Amino acid sequence: MMQFGIFSVGQVSTDPATGRVQSEHDKIRMMVRLARRAEEVGLDVFATGEHHNPPFVPSSPTTLLGYVAAQTERLVLSTATTLITTNDPVKIAEDYATLQHLSDGRTDLMMGRGNTAPVYPWFGKDIRDGIDLAIENYHLLHRLWREDVVDWKGQHRTALQGFTATPRPLDGVPPFVWHGSIRSPEIAEQAAYYGDGFFHNNIFWPMEHVQRMIALYRRRYEHYGHGSADQAIVGLGGQVYMRPKAADAIREFRPYFDTSYVYANGPSLEETMKTTPLTVGTPEQVVERTLAFRDAVGDYQRQLFTLDLGLPEEAVMEQIDILGEEVVPVLRKEFAIGRPAHVPDAPTHASLLTAKNAKSDDDKEGATR
Amino acid sequence: MTTPTTTRSLAVVSAGLREPSSTRMLADRLAQATAEALRERGEEAVVEVVELRTLGHDLVNNLVSGFPAGELKGAVEAVTGADALIAVTPVFQASYSGLFKTFFDVLDKDALENTPTLLGATGGTPRHSLAIDFAMRPLFAYLRASVQRTAVYAATEDWGSGELAERVTRAGRELADTIIGRAPAAKPDPFEEPVPFERLLFKE
Repeated sequence: MMQFGIFSVGQVSTDPATGRVQSEHDKIRMMVRLARRAEEVGLDVFATGEHHNPPFVPSSPTTLLGYVAAQTERLVLSTATTLITTNDPVKIAEDYATLQHLSDGRTDLMMGRGNTAPVYPWFGKDIRDGIDLAIENYHLLHRLWREDVVDWKGQHRTALQGFTATPRPLDGVPPFVWHGSIRSPEIAEQAAYYGDGFFHNNIFWPMEHVQRMIALYRRRYEHYGHGSADQAIVGLGGQVYMRPKAADAIREFRPYFDTSYVYANGPSLEETMKTTPLTVGTPEQVVERTLAFRDAVGDYQRQLFTLDLGLPEEAVMEQIDILGEEVVPVLRKEFAIGRPAHVPDAPTHASLLTAKNAKSDDDKEGATR
Repeated sequence: MTTPTTTRSLAVVSAGLREPSSTRMLADRLAQATAEALRERGEEAVVEVVELRTLGHDLVNNLVSGFPAGELKGAVEAVTGADALIAVTPVFQASYSGLFKTFFDVLDKDALENTPTLLGATGGTPRHSLAIDFAMRPLFAYLRASVQRTAVYAATEDWGSGELAERVTRAGRELADTIIGRAPAAKPDPFEEPVPFERLLFKE
């Protein structure tokens, strides 16, 4: 029904106790090990970030995900996020179609603009064009995966005449696309327009803000005729750290929180847990908090957790184990209760292929009638 | 007798730090003068005062976390949703105070667009009076607020002269005149009224 998984920003960690900085090599291999463990404990999705500056390592997501694909059987490989602003949409079309073939359809991706200002000029772009780039580039990507021959002209990229992106998507089914945005209504609108998924990372910001974004996306999804608002495809993030005793979780997590590049020198851990969905406590508390997400945004399709914000590998592995053994099985059961039958499951290659075949059968029937 | 028909919201931002604060006193007098002038014109004012002194921690947290929490959230909503703004700061080191600037730093850059705004400042000496014109006006020009032509500076010695009251009354009257000519504040909410996608895509 719902998909559960982990997403990783991919920063090398610094041990707050010793100051030891992890090597890039170790972090890259660690991301592979986390993905494998996620599959082993029964999670559904592994998503990697994309960054082009230290202390982050995943600048080449399809290389990483291709390698993970070779070592896994079932795991869906995704991104959080793919920079639709600074990457060439032609290259995204080719890279992810290739990954889709190599992973036998276990590929989807999440578009994001990226919030690191200097990345734009490094790739010849301007951050002030962020929304424009996201809209124009994705429109081209959307066409490249659906039209065999594309003529195209835009503001931000050289024109194309008679261009065919290769390889063509697996079974003629483009990878499913999520659009991620923390605060831009234009991106919720974009996701709704195409009938794509909308993902809110749901960390760092208050839930009521997340609710507004999701509500907008759902309303506009219905407006554009893809189904009713409660059939829109919603994904949420979340950040957790768990221990059998809540006090231990807080004590162990605090040094990482206090030195984290996002949280340091801001509101305290306690304030942040109150104002944002960050949950540091027992697995039961994480279950309770996560189930409340549904009360806020309605039945949804994908829940990803981020675990490795600076934590050492051992600790992250342990968190994946707890997710797989104690949290996700309960969430699967509880989320299924009261979920209306018309609310779709998370889209997969198989479900999209079935839908495509059903549609072409309908079309054939229509033609012979 | 005219019966008040329209109620206008006045947000008053005071960056005074002491208790009592001459900055707060000036802010209150400006608010009172504006409310009286509105009443003379048949409208009612609801005044909401934002004391930045009590929001210092929330403001610094907002700089790091990116969103307003605690009491700051209500303060931001009061200011950005108001029909008019009265903003008063003490002059520190020849400019608005850092606390004052931080509050306006955490607002969306469009949040005060076209909001009628009356500026005030206080200082120990009249020699700082131009801080309103070389520091405050550029800030509110950037925010595209509709800044009133009269602003009020009060040095310590002004509190002993009748002239300050005259200037306050004039400033209040001008702000009331600006408010009267306008429809009550209703900012478009991009979450309620999104820009339709075709317009984003084709830039129609």
